[in-house]
Amino acid sequence: MSSTPIVTDAALVAAVADGDAGALRELYERHGAWLHARLIRRCNDPEVVVEVVQDTFVALWKDARRFRHDGEVGAWLWGIAFRRMVSRLRSRRDVVLIPEWDVSPTLQQVMPSAEDQVLLGVEYGDLAAGLRRLSPEFRSVVQAVVLDGLTTKEAGRLLGVRENTVKTRLHRAKAQLRATLTEPQEGWR
Amino acid sequence: MTTGTEEWHADPALLSRYLAGNLDAVTGASVEQHVSRCETCRATVGRLLEPQLLERTWAGIRDGVERPTPPYPMRVARRLGLPEPTAVLLASAASLRAAWLVGAFLSLSFATLAAYASDGTALAPFLLAAPLAPVLGVAAAYGPRQDPLEALVATAPYGRTRLILLRTIGVLVSVLPVTVLLGLAVPGPPWLAAAWLGPALALVPVLLALAAFVGPRIAATIVSLAWSGVVLGSTRALAPTWPVEAAQQGVYLGLAVAACAVIAIRAGTDRQPGVAL
Repeated sequence: MSSTPIVTDAALVAAVADGDAGALRELYERHGAWLHARLIRRCNDPEVVVEVVQDTFVALWKDARRFRHDGEVGAWLWGIAFRRMVSRLRSRRDVVLIPEWDVSPTLQQVMPSAEDQVLLGVEYGDLAAGLRRLSPEFRSVVQAVVLDGLTTKEAGRLLGVRENTVKTRLHRAKAQLRATLTEPQEGWR
Repeated sequence: MTTGTEEWHADPALLSRYLAGNLDAVTGASVEQHVSRCETCRATVGRLLEPQLLERTWAGIRDGVERPTPPYPMRVARRLGLPEPTAVLLASAASLRAAWLVGAFLSLSFATLAAYASDGTALAPFLLAAPLAPVLGVAAAYGPRQDPLEALVATAPYGRTRLILLRTIGVLVSVLPVTVLLGLAVPGPPWLAAAWLGPALALVPVLLALAAFVGPRIAATIVSLAWSGVVLGSTRALAPTWPVEAAQQGVYLGLAVAACAVIAIRAGTDRQPGVAL
């Protein structure tokens, strides 16, 4: 599986903008699955996930011209998909979930294997521990803004707090993480 | 991503746990961040996810992409909560198309200008045109010549009376607001702006009742000639506002009630679809 694609995602989006349905299918093959997976983690209704992914690709079909060719297609699609999901908050309050950050003991035994730690960027210190130490309010803000890429305004709507509150919490959370990462850690040196 | 993580790929077991929701949030979030940027791991997720789910979603995308955008009146009707078949039937009415509406608007504008230019002494053009705009709109909204769906409508098990009344409402909703605004611009007594609505609303059921016997085209001709006779005849000896004064409004009301009764009886006795009106 070391195949570098002959056609890049961006070239496919350009083809979709010219009305190429085959290119849309190819983009769906490449991005449909992980979008499903990522949305399922945030939603308690599989039907909504299916509809949101459908909306996203129909929007891609209609608005492919609007893609600015300076970012990743995957990130762009995620932006469309997650915003559509959040906007469903208006009609159905139970749909969007914030991932559960509090770890159950059984899972904790399984999880941080040496291999998985690579994901967390070992060379930057124990980011995972830093994230786990954040209070729930701070973590939900980091999740919405840093990981899911919402604006502070959108995050405020999702979390039900004011935009300024989001900004303050994000600022403090970053400061707290920075402090965790710079403090000397046992076993890492 | 840094060079150190570019050759790293999440193994299928880890991705399966991620898909099943069996990872804690921090690990899950980092898997997620990696997968969204790593082509190889995205492909692995594609193999691990149920193919039926992916195909079901794709079927919906294909439908959404292949479905043409409906014409504007239909989108408005859909947004107002009408079911799709009703919206299609409503939107195919000739008089709901832009050309017809623009024509009606232009003729009313000229009538208003004429009334304005004569300083209120020549109200006849406006009183002639304003009530006839909705009447002719309704007449043009159905009938074999005007309706592109006529063959479908005649054979569909869909009450023709219902269809015609539905289109009548559609025409009135789209024509009346503009006419009311123009009526406000006509010089003369202030009640004139509302008074022309009397004959306008009375002539529509009269038209529908007549159309049940002689067809919409002849009915529209009869109603137009009759109304023109009333308006033009009154300009000889009577006040310019005579056709819409109180006594005459009573006559229109009586006509409307009689016409509604005729329509109701026709629709009630003749239940066969396509014959009632």
